[in-house]
Amino acid sequence: MASQGIGETGLTDSGPSSHSHHNHNMPYAVYRGINPASTSFINQESSGFDFGELEEAFVLQGFKISNDEAKASLYAAAAATGKPAATLEMFPSWPMRFQQTPREKSKSREESTDSGSLSSRVQPHLEPESPISRKASSDHQQNQLHITHKSQEQQQQLQNMASNNPRTGGLQTELAASKSNSEKKKGAASTSERVLDPKTLRRLAQNREAAKKSRIRKKAYVQQLETSRMRLSQLEQELQRASSQGIFLGGGTTAGSNISSGAAIFDMEYSRWLDDDQRHMSELRTALQAHLSDGDLRLIVDGYIAHYDEIFCLKGVAAKSDVFHLITGMWTTPAERCFLWMGGFRPSELIKMLIGQLDPLTEQQVVGIYSLQQSSQQAEDALSQGLEQLQQSLIDTIATASLHDGMHHMALALGKLSNLEGFVRQADNLRQQTLHQLHRILTVRQAARCFLVIGEYYGRLRALSSLWLSRPRETLIVDDNSCQTITGLQMTQINVTCQAKSSEGANRTMPHVK
Amino acid sequence: MQYETESWSGYLQEEIERMASKNAVVMFSKNTCCMCHAIKRLLCGMGVNPTVYECNDHNPTWQNALFSLLGNSSTPSLLGFFIGGKLVGSMDSIMAAHINDILVPLLKKAGALWL
Repeated sequence: MASQGIGETGLTDSGPSSHSHHNHNMPYAVYRGINPASTSFINQESSGFDFGELEEAFVLQGFKISNDEAKASLYAAAAATGKPAATLEMFPSWPMRFQQTPREKSKSREESTDSGSLSSRVQPHLEPESPISRKASSDHQQNQLHITHKSQEQQQQLQNMASNNPRTGGLQTELAASKSNSEKKKGAASTSERVLDPKTLRRLAQNREAAKKSRIRKKAYVQQLETSRMRLSQLEQELQRASSQGIFLGGGTTAGSNISSGAAIFDMEYSRWLDDDQRHMSELRTALQAHLSDGDLRLIVDGYIAHYDEIFCLKGVAAKSDVFHLITGMWTTPAERCFLWMGGFRPSELIKMLIGQLDPLTEQQVVGIYSLQQSSQQAEDALSQGLEQLQQSLIDTIATASLHDGMHHMALALGKLSNLEGFVRQADNLRQQTLHQLHRILTVRQAARCFLVIGEYYGRLRALSSLWLSRPRETLIVDDNSCQTITGLQMTQINVTCQAKSSEGANRTMPHVK
Repeated sequence: MQYETESWSGYLQEEIERMASKNAVVMFSKNTCCMCHAIKRLLCGMGVNPTVYECNDHNPTWQNALFSLLGNSSTPSLLGFFIGGKLVGSMDSIMAAHINDILVPLLKKAGALWL
């Protein structure tokens, strides 16, 4: 996921080109204005200043700013003390922010910056709430680690930084951006030489959308955190009252929108994982088309396996904090939720789907895959039956709870409920082992194709969910008194929309509608 | 007193190992545990007939002995799983062994499966 700006409640997210900051977030005096011709650092006032337009202006005008002064000042800043203090951040001088980011991105220092963006993009970071900003910048750092390999992503990061509140890791972005830029282009290309083609513009537009998405998600997460905190204190009060009176707890009714912080964190990490998934898939695709050697292909396939190991690890962590979120599938799209088994996909179904798509296979491989399907089926049945027994025993416990020893039964039930985590973990373990065994049975090229098929399959399932949620419904049209029937033009429009979406969805994963 | 407890649990461990080697597949589980139920289903589905010793909550000394045998590393619900007298380990490794086609040969070698 792209960088996350700090949640400001007063911020309007209408895109980076008309991004406006409120003055009360920046109560301190800053340097105003930009002098494009100057090679000195430019401190920009975030309020009222449109950074996104500046960035695009640079691109469009092919403007180049020399970086030597930028580099010198950067090193000077990096030499400063590395301890960010909340008070220090109150001052608008830009070096204070560098204390955090160079520390976290020390390797970027060594790379020369060749893009003209660096000198113009240094901004003061005036966020007095240092814990949140630190978390945001560390989240940002995690994102950086994912994207330093791609120069395309560099553009996105610049855009995100531009469109977000620039207090968050602005320098970090540029360091990473310039690092990836220098890695990829070997210091040749600079802003002035960038070719203006529709691809660049489209990329910029995509980056803007991605930035907008992450801003919205971040806001939602912060809001959920606050409501959960209030709810927690309410529940604690209820608990105290109830235990003192010796009665049952009401059994908190959770509102639909109220999810725990563990679940919100997992949702965010999952969406980031999905973006990674897209990247891995395109790597696999190009690798297969380019007919790379087996050694190179093996690296990419191993990377994809590690990518899946990562999500299982994340799910293990999430299961500890909120197992219901996983097991009800609220983290997936509706279509995936329909086929959910114990908080994820069913391994035997996946293998059944793959069998038809993996030819040609040797006889030994066919035997291996069929036996894998059979053993995963057996393991799934065993786990399902275990879960059923858990449910039955839970029902019995709750049903036999009487007025006198109610608390005891509730405690028993709580204990039984904690076994759910074990089941979800075992199911994930099963999925992980199935993927590893597939990797072992197939050759490198077959494995690459197999994982590509898997990724595309789930991508289509997610696209199906988006299509379903955004399908046009006839009732909307009949609403208006003046328009009782669907005109021919409207019918054509609906058809065109459907076709465009379905063809688009088949190729790429659509943005999530959650 | 400490010494007596230790020697008693040591005796228990030996007793457990003795019981484990009497049959091809031996399971020590808690009667309320559902994961153990899942394993039982898995084995019965494969045609294996495991010998199951239920440890209920009223007998903590057995549980302690089993825990120390397992090195306190396994999931708290599954207390002990032995194939051919040898300790197999946690639920994770059982599942992994089954998927990786290791479990069946192991069971055949122990004489629990004949097909």
